[in-house]
Amino acid sequence: MREALEGSQAIARAVALCDPDVVAAYPITPQTHIVENLSKLVAEGDLHTEFVSVESEFSAASVVLGAAASGARAYTASSSQGVLLMAEVLFNIAGMRIPLTMTVANRAVSAPLNIWNDHADSMAVRDSGWIQLHCENNQEAVDTTIQSFKIAQDTDLPVMVCMDGFVLTHTMEVIDIPTHAQVRKWLPPFVFKRALDPSDPKSLGALVSPDFFPEVRHSHHAAVDKALPVIEKVDASWAKTFKRDCGGLLTVEGPEDAKVGILAMGSTVGTLRTGLEHHDGPGAKLIKLRAFRPFPADALRAAVAGLDSLIVIDRAISPGLGGILGSEVKSTLYGMPNAPRIHNHAIGLGGRDIPESIVGDLLSSIEDPDAPAFSVFDADLSMLPPEDR
Amino acid sequence: MTTTDNTKRVARLAELREKFGRHPVEPQEKHYQGGSQRDRQPRFCGLESGHRACQGCGEALAARLVMECAGPDVMVANATGCLEVFTTPWPQTAWQVPWIHSLFENSAAVASGMEAAMKAKGKNTKILAFGGDGGTYDIGFQALSGMLERYHNILYVCYDNEAYMNTGIQRSSSTPHAASTTTSPAGAERMGKRHLKKDLLSIIAAHHIPYSASASVAYPADLQRKVRYAMGIEGPTFLVVHSPCPLGWKHDSHVTIEVARRAVECGLFPVVEVERGAVANVMPIREVRPVADYLGMQGRFGHLMDPNDPRAVEELTHLQALADYNISHYNLRGEGEDPADTAGITLVARDRAAGES
Amino acid sequence: MVVINRGAHAEPGTSLEFKTGNWRSSECPTHIHAKAPCHAACPAGEDQQAWFAWLQEGHVEEAWRELVSANPLPGVTGRVCPHPCETACNRVSIDTPLAIHNVERWLGDEAVSKGWAYPVEAPAEDAPCVAIVGSGPGGLSAAYHCLRNGLRAEIFEALPEAGGLLRSAIPPTRLPRPALDAEIGRLLALPGITLNLRSKLGRDVLLDELKHSHAAVILSPGCGESKEWNVDGAVPTDLHEGLHLLREFMDHGQFPEARRVAVHGGGNTAIDLCRLMKRHGVEQVTLVTASALPGPDTDPNDLINVVPRELEEALEEGIEIVEHATVKRLIMKGSRVTGVEIVALKKLLGTDGRMHRIQFEGTERVVPVDMVIPCIGERVKADGLHNLLNRWHYLDAKDAWSRTDLDNIYAIGDSRGDRGTVAEAIGDGRLAVQAIAANLKGEADPQADDRPEMPAAGLNKVYFGAVKRTVPPKLPVGERTFEAEIEGDIGRLEALREATRCLSCGNCLACDNCWVMCPDNAVIKTAELAKDGSHYLFDLDYCKGCGICAQECPTGFIQMKEDTWHEGD
Repeated sequence: MREALEGSQAIARAVALCDPDVVAAYPITPQTHIVENLSKLVAEGDLHTEFVSVESEFSAASVVLGAAASGARAYTASSSQGVLLMAEVLFNIAGMRIPLTMTVANRAVSAPLNIWNDHADSMAVRDSGWIQLHCENNQEAVDTTIQSFKIAQDTDLPVMVCMDGFVLTHTMEVIDIPTHAQVRKWLPPFVFKRALDPSDPKSLGALVSPDFFPEVRHSHHAAVDKALPVIEKVDASWAKTFKRDCGGLLTVEGPEDAKVGILAMGSTVGTLRTGLEHHDGPGAKLIKLRAFRPFPADALRAAVAGLDSLIVIDRAISPGLGGILGSEVKSTLYGMPNAPRIHNHAIGLGGRDIPESIVGDLLSSIEDPDAPAFSVFDADLSMLPPEDR
Repeated sequence: MTTTDNTKRVARLAELREKFGRHPVEPQEKHYQGGSQRDRQPRFCGLESGHRACQGCGEALAARLVMECAGPDVMVANATGCLEVFTTPWPQTAWQVPWIHSLFENSAAVASGMEAAMKAKGKNTKILAFGGDGGTYDIGFQALSGMLERYHNILYVCYDNEAYMNTGIQRSSSTPHAASTTTSPAGAERMGKRHLKKDLLSIIAAHHIPYSASASVAYPADLQRKVRYAMGIEGPTFLVVHSPCPLGWKHDSHVTIEVARRAVECGLFPVVEVERGAVANVMPIREVRPVADYLGMQGRFGHLMDPNDPRAVEELTHLQALADYNISHYNLRGEGEDPADTAGITLVARDRAAGES
Repeated sequence: MVVINRGAHAEPGTSLEFKTGNWRSSECPTHIHAKAPCHAACPAGEDQQAWFAWLQEGHVEEAWRELVSANPLPGVTGRVCPHPCETACNRVSIDTPLAIHNVERWLGDEAVSKGWAYPVEAPAEDAPCVAIVGSGPGGLSAAYHCLRNGLRAEIFEALPEAGGLLRSAIPPTRLPRPALDAEIGRLLALPGITLNLRSKLGRDVLLDELKHSHAAVILSPGCGESKEWNVDGAVPTDLHEGLHLLREFMDHGQFPEARRVAVHGGGNTAIDLCRLMKRHGVEQVTLVTASALPGPDTDPNDLINVVPRELEEALEEGIEIVEHATVKRLIMKGSRVTGVEIVALKKLLGTDGRMHRIQFEGTERVVPVDMVIPCIGERVKADGLHNLLNRWHYLDAKDAWSRTDLDNIYAIGDSRGDRGTVAEAIGDGRLAVQAIAANLKGEADPQADDRPEMPAAGLNKVYFGAVKRTVPPKLPVGERTFEAEIEGDIGRLEALREATRCLSCGNCLACDNCWVMCPDNAVIKTAELAKDGSHYLFDLDYCKGCGICAQECPTGFIQMKEDTWHEGD
């Protein structure tokens, strides 16, 4: 049913449709509306779940870990500092191969304190071994959230559904919310084969010596890699039932013969799409990357084939290196015949507004032979003292 | 559960039993009669032999004692630490109950999730959370407080060996005053730890939970009674078990029990029970020992034993004052002989049933 | 090949594959059946700990059967024995020793009243027969142990009744005749024992004949006459010696007239005599003894050799005892004694390395008396034994089995000269018969029980609380007569309660400490008795040798000993 809903409210509804056994969360802006809405659903009797109001994000992650390990479908959500406080547990959940879902309402990481949107938080835990999916809009966020429960249990991996804080979480849109019956039919009941169970009492989380550790690590890596087709399959299955998809691993739009491409993740994609529509001049391809982990190397190489230039938009930086996504794209395209030239820019850090007009600036910047390999594109360096530029 | 699942599970239990002797019991099946003597022990074995604890490990003993009266219908969340490391070197585990180790500071939170899962599934399986003093008094303290406040139906057991033993004997907030550890070493300028042992039980009690208690491996009957009592309570319960560490405390492995007993007898480790924040019961000390009887057995207090060093005398006197404070604060001095006091509870008698098969 | 599973989880109890037994560096826990000190101290060879264990389990008849496997006369020894078992009892390190003699006596009486059968079988008709001279405690014990060893016994007793000194020299106030008669009667009625009364050696039967007619001869004649006594050659004309006076009194109920009496000596006969005379009306009875009264610093070798409670009672009754003293001179008026000069004395080590009795000049004092009674000990009456007696008028026994220089002739009990208690005689009887039985079968002498003894320091006393010793009622001094038994019966309830005080030194009492306190779950409890009689096994596959079980074993039954285990055993 189509309803006008705030993003956070929609996510709460989507989570509820999946019948989670345990939800644990700790409030942090801009994730708060999600857990508030979930709490409300519980309070109204519309969601029957064990809602654990923990005393920290660290415990939120720990609670869902314990719950999922005990065979419960579990969900949590956080942002920014919260994600970082969870970091140790996030690695642990993934390393133990425990399937569960977490929404990250992406937000900048302090200092300086900033509560607005960028991707620094989820990027900080990109190596934790989670699946990370980025959503362009709230419909995708709703659909991806429901899909994530299936992906998690099909892969025995935790899934992070990343949606931009405020931009999505606090924006009201018309969203098609599936019915409970539809979701129940599509999403199988939660099964975790290694669940803690007194009638088959396994020990989880053993100490693994150097004799076995590299093998265990490799198997984790391989598992995340092998999640690529699962993500595609699940999205395809979703499309079959619900007549819309979320773009699998990535999508490519724009003229077939375009020589320039722009690659981005999350809500920025929507801004860029509108900007391109309003931009006069030769068209450009728009590549929306949905799966950041696992990183869809093959799909990406195919998507950029024929391009001369590729502008990679980062919403976070790795100080001293540059753009994180940009670096990963570069390394993926390394050695590819006729690989496009990469122009990597970070924009919209800490919630700086991204105007549609930025598309023109981006496209014209590639003409500048002196352009740096990486820049914080929308930074006004004149505001900085010379020695800090 | 389908019939096939059940048949499979029964077959699997049989297979495990065949391979490892007493093996996983169905929660309702308390007395599995196996083939070997080991199988036929008249107690539940939650923590099996073959674990890698040091000789004379007080923590291993305490955990074994706890499991005996808690299992088999339990699930354990275990903090990082000796207990976790020595019981589960992959691919082996000494546990006979479902057990999970996640991190150092989150056993109370993981347990909370497990308990929430049990509630969601309508199961009565009791959740236990285990941690050492580092994981409880220090790094896991917040998660523990949260667990207690949220009123989860969990028994949290802290195996208190008064330092970070797994990492090599570093001081924790549970380390007693003046004890020498690798991060509070005694030296020309210092007499061991400068701070006091945290009064954790009082903090726990302030959560107004139904039951919290201290116990000692020196008094297994008392310890096990407390575990059984806590198991019967629907809600958060807490037990701190004084568990000597021969390596960290620097005493011979065979005196683990004796050392623990003296800690209680001198008043430095009060054995008490707290219900809803109020002291409900204490183990009276029949004959109070001087603290030197306890401290003198351990290398970690060796620097206090020089009567010619005024600093040693001062710290020794300080510890005696702390013990005296405990005795007066908890009113540990018994009034005459009591079957539940430090001497009464240890009494043995010939087991009249033992001779009759 | 290891296959790594998802998330590296582990299957329950798999640590059993890892045998930590090879961590033990040198020692492993071992069950050591040490002797309880009561057992080690018992001349009769009783294992008090063993029969107390039965009582602790509530099995009274089993306790009695265990007891009489060594001593067939508990009703007697429970009354007359100076109970070295109680002196040795480790409970003294906690509070006071067990009231072993009271419980022993009760068990003996209980067996009589319930008619429990002695654990013996009738010997074969053609079983070898042992001749036993004398029916005192030694002879009776020997006869009983003959049955236990499949032999027949034929006793030759000079007097018209059996019992030896039990009947002739122990007052009924200590050993009531009905109790004595009942126990001896039951014993003598056992099939396989023949008793010949009024059969005096040298008159009615000859040793040479017995040697030929019987498989072996056990001489148990006791000591029937007093040692010679004088003071520097002086002997009063009306000398009455102690044993004689006691026998006369037991037969006729009369003592010679006297107001003040000095008794010289320090054994049970002396004490019995003192007390009877006092009770009979003698105003002042003084015992002069070279030994010491019990005290905290008393050297056990110097201690007066009497039943402790008898000594206590004597003091209660007003007997004056002068310790560390001897009679130096008799003060005579004509041939009558009017006083004794006594002098302080002590046994001291001389330069020759031997103990000497040294009198201390200047400590002399005179005690006015009108009778002095020597009670310095007895020796064997020569009847029929002339050739065998040594110069002190005792029979020489060479070894623990009481062999003499003559083949197949054994000398036991008081007649050996180095004995002095009923219990020793009973123990001698048992050992001599065991040697005879082994000899007849062509076997070597039975092995002595050389197990170590469990000292108090070997116990973990934390596990035992102080419990008051049961003290049975005693007749008040004023009510003590010549017949009624002075010490009362402990009774069933108190006997069983007293049994719970036994520390079970060196033996398992199934307290579960080892099983409960093993951090490695390496102690296995068995439903049925394990081979070593306990209920526990050590699983040396997993025992790391920490030693907690040995340290916390209350009774010293578990000790850390050299490790002989090898992986795969």
